[in-house]
Amino acid sequence: MTKQLTAAERLERMLAIVPWVAARPGGVTLSELSDRFQLTPTQLEECLRIVWMVGVHPYTPDALIDLTLESDHVEIRLPDYFAKPLRLTVAQAFALVAAGRSVLSTPDADPDGPLARGLDKLAAALGSDRSSVVEVELGEHSTQVAALQHAVAERRQLEIDYYTYGRDQLATRRIDPWTVQSVDGFWYVKAFCHNADAVRTFRVDRIRDIRDLETIFVPGQQSPRIESFRPTDDDPEITLDLAPSARWVVTQYPIRSTETLVDGRLRVTLAVSATQWLERLLVRLGPDAEIVSTDPSLASCRSDAARRILRRYLK
Amino acid sequence: MAAIDDKFERLMNLTAALLDAERPLSAEYIHEHVAGYTSDGESYRRAFERDKADLLELGIPIVLLQIPGESLGTLGYRIERTDYELPDPELDPEELAALHLALRAVRVGESETLGTRALWRLGGVLGADDDNPDASELALGALPTDPSLIPLFGAVLERRVATFTYGTSEGEATRSLEPWRLEFQRGHWYVLGFDIDRQGERNFRVDRIVGPIETGPAGAFSPSGESRGERPFRPWNPDGSGDQPVTAILRVDGEHAVTATELLGTETIRDVEIDGATIYEVPVTSWPAFRSFVLSFLDHAELIGPPELRSDLVDWLGTMDDEGSGS
Repeated sequence: MTKQLTAAERLERMLAIVPWVAARPGGVTLSELSDRFQLTPTQLEECLRIVWMVGVHPYTPDALIDLTLESDHVEIRLPDYFAKPLRLTVAQAFALVAAGRSVLSTPDADPDGPLARGLDKLAAALGSDRSSVVEVELGEHSTQVAALQHAVAERRQLEIDYYTYGRDQLATRRIDPWTVQSVDGFWYVKAFCHNADAVRTFRVDRIRDIRDLETIFVPGQQSPRIESFRPTDDDPEITLDLAPSARWVVTQYPIRSTETLVDGRLRVTLAVSATQWLERLLVRLGPDAEIVSTDPSLASCRSDAARRILRRYLK
Repeated sequence: MAAIDDKFERLMNLTAALLDAERPLSAEYIHEHVAGYTSDGESYRRAFERDKADLLELGIPIVLLQIPGESLGTLGYRIERTDYELPDPELDPEELAALHLALRAVRVGESETLGTRALWRLGGVLGADDDNPDASELALGALPTDPSLIPLFGAVLERRVATFTYGTSEGEATRSLEPWRLEFQRGHWYVLGFDIDRQGERNFRVDRIVGPIETGPAGAFSPSGESRGERPFRPWNPDGSGDQPVTAILRVDGEHAVTATELLGTETIRDVEIDGATIYEVPVTSWPAFRSFVLSFLDHAELIGPPELRSDLVDWLGTMDDEGSGS
């Protein structure tokens, strides 16, 4: 059952374990090591059986790692070359700091708690005198987020007034909120929606009002992770030529393909999951976007939207 | 099985030898004095190259240096202790557990193991049980990553000047930056620092950096710039633009006023009408950015003034109305 580790995976683990054990002169138990460093007892023993043969030329007893392994107890005394663990890679340090700063940015975080203290010490070990080398804002709307998190924890059914941006529609829904998460900078709540009789994901900044229905719901069985929005293959397409000043579209919308034209413009094909967001995009881009080809259902989208808005100005 | 054991033992011996060496070790010395290599020269060289790649992959800083006392160009390998050793941050069990909990709550990029591997080096993984799949109450979110983030983070930590190509609306330009910190805001990563060419504090969207990032020597500057605190994202009136703002007057329908207030700030509210429609007075230095903001409300908002901006908006929309239906 135990997964076989590669030689490099064993090396990485042992370069952390050996100094950690050596720093504890009385030794430690194998079960503590196996919990702390995420190895099965078998994997751990396989490694340790080899470590006691490791050392430097001429490999006489005094040049080897001095390791004693007796039943569940291990002790290491060693020459000083393995006295300290290996530094973190930059990518590892970034993953840890970014995750930690994210949690610290949430409304409930304790700015003086163990996480904050741990991040300060970590920053110092990474050679920085400031722990604020990374700042994360998972999303705004902290009041609603706190209310929703509370409802998730207490399994309280809610009624929300929700604005569907894509369809430009405001409607009231009854939901069982399962989880609240931030994905790519926005807060979402994943819930069972009684109006749709299905699981739905709602963007928290489009929830206009939240009312507690004083009812406890039974949680459903679903993956807890909220994934980023991805258009489906059935969505109609539109192809635009974008002026250089409109290149930002590429980083903000689901792009099917891009091609740089000889005149410096960018030809992009977008999948359109709802007409209203395309309307918004096109009226904002104006002359910076030229429609090259489009699904017939989207053909009059830009002029319809422009005319609708103009009605407010030309009355 | 035996092959993995042998290779693991050899990698440990090689790491020990390179850390213990007082002077760089030549390839021949390693062949003769590090246990585990075969006597055949060609297969030794292949095995050594693979081992070296494995160590570098883990972040072990192997360097190739002139061997002192040997003829010029005689090179050897070594691991500098000061580059290898992690200064002990002395994290207590509570702090280790808090960092572990944070890793479980927030996924950074696609890799789930980067952060846990960091924890091993910091003293191990404590607290919550990773095998327990019922972690829905823990999941807090996900942050996207970008290939440029890691070199930029390295440059921030080591205070190296970063030089890169940046894509803007006017095309691509080279920028040299003393990077102070990375910020994630409204779904995007930014690097903030002192722009050497333009002699001022600037921020750059990381996903608009094109191609590789070059970094200069370590310790090249001392970062300033306080923690940002609350700096709202308002592209129509960015920090430090230096231009005198124009006051735009905007009416937003009641159903959409909550969103508008959130983005514009409560200090811009001038009046709330009986049906909830809200009137805002907004300082604007970038009209294209504000026009874009106003139009994102489609026909649920109306720019009341000033007249020149209102007429520009009407012209802008007029070009689009004509071309579609030909009316």
